[in-house]
Amino acid sequence: MVRAALSQKRNIGQGPVAAAQYWPAFSVMLASLLAVLPIVSMNGWFPNFGFLVLIAWRLLRADAFPAWWGAPLGLFNDLVTGSPVGLSVAVWTMAMLALDIADQRTQWRGYWLEWAIAAVLLLGQEAAEWRVAQIMGASLPFLSIAPPLLISILAFPIAAWIVARIDRWRLGR
Amino acid sequence: MATARPGWSRKAQYSLFFSFIAAIAGLLIGLVLLAVSFVAPRSYAAVRGAALDATAPVTGGLRQVTATVNGLFSGAGNYWDAAHQNAQLKRERELMIQRIIEAKAISQENRELKAALQLREHSRAPVASGRVVGSSFSSPRRFAVFSAGSADGVRIGMPVRSPTGLIGRVMDAGALASRVLLVSDRASIVPARILRTGQPVISQGRGDGTVDLRPLEVGRNPFRPGDIVITSGTGGLYPPLIPIARVIRLDDDGAIARPLADPGSTSFAVVEQPYEPAAVGGTTGASPERQ
Repeated sequence: MVRAALSQKRNIGQGPVAAAQYWPAFSVMLASLLAVLPIVSMNGWFPNFGFLVLIAWRLLRADAFPAWWGAPLGLFNDLVTGSPVGLSVAVWTMAMLALDIADQRTQWRGYWLEWAIAAVLLLGQEAAEWRVAQIMGASLPFLSIAPPLLISILAFPIAAWIVARIDRWRLGR
Repeated sequence: MATARPGWSRKAQYSLFFSFIAAIAGLLIGLVLLAVSFVAPRSYAAVRGAALDATAPVTGGLRQVTATVNGLFSGAGNYWDAAHQNAQLKRERELMIQRIIEAKAISQENRELKAALQLREHSRAPVASGRVVGSSFSSPRRFAVFSAGSADGVRIGMPVRSPTGLIGRVMDAGALASRVLLVSDRASIVPARILRTGQPVISQGRGDGTVDLRPLEVGRNPFRPGDIVITSGTGGLYPPLIPIARVIRLDDDGAIARPLADPGSTSFAVVEQPYEPAAVGGTTGASPERQ
């Protein structure tokens, strides 16, 4: 969905920024680091920012980062957000592999389809988190994931927009 | 550019294939790490503590900023309707003074009675004090980040309280900061009793900032809206007589209550020793560093 080519202002002669190919992974880590904000939330309905930015990058570009980078990025997210170590490692890598398969299976892509794929992935992520919490002794009703899931799905277009802006910036367009 | 079909380049094909193998390996490693998290949660204590130490100072610094901004707004808000508020506060103060005198008399009587019975109480000095600087905000679990760590003597399993009530217990301890399992987390179960009647109840978090209260004895619902629930000291982890929550709603055989200590607005909190360290060590098979 890069429409930079159609825009009026063309930055002729301006190349990609330094380390342009690492900016996608770096921005995912920055999104994970939003967990250090001093927000004391009583219900935990904020979206999982790292995961949102990860799938937004992967849906925007197939070559943002190799699929296996989901594992180290997930480990970083686990450590920063304090979730059980291994949860994001497994879920993020699984999401990357699922998106590889989705790339093979879909014939055409549009905004709505990408949003739908993101919604399915977010549902999987929330469900995995819920199941892990249940195994670790915090069994909540399954419907308790509905509000954070809805918020995450609604937050996805914002994440996708931010990611598209970062992409244009890093490529110097 | 769909990486699924990289074209004729042998190099691109191999790189895609190895990336796929690496992703499968990453997935398996993730599942193994997660399995270790389930069966031996303590095995990541060091690395989780280090991550806490790296991030918590940032959170603490930002917390100061938000607290200052909040203070400016609420401070300005207090000037609104100040005269009326002043009169109300004066009335409340008169009442409070009476209550305090009564309470002093009662505590003196209590001391005399205990002396007569020769009951011995060990005084509980707080281990460390600090501030609640952040919390988990995108997970069904309820944790808070607390600004004191093992360098201050905080150990895993110690109870945390604020002047207004019980906050929770320590579950990860870094050198400079620790992570606290809040009372409102689903896995947080606190033995309690109703202040009004003394009836024993169990408090369990609901994951959304409230707690579930259940009486230990089956029968008529013992709760009334507005009841205060305090810790009972049973189990030996939480010291007795710490306020936990106020009942806001009744359901069929229990009640739903809101914790009295709001971690969002708590300025200071203290970490205490477990009430009966021996009992806690016995029941939870506790940390190796405690021996």
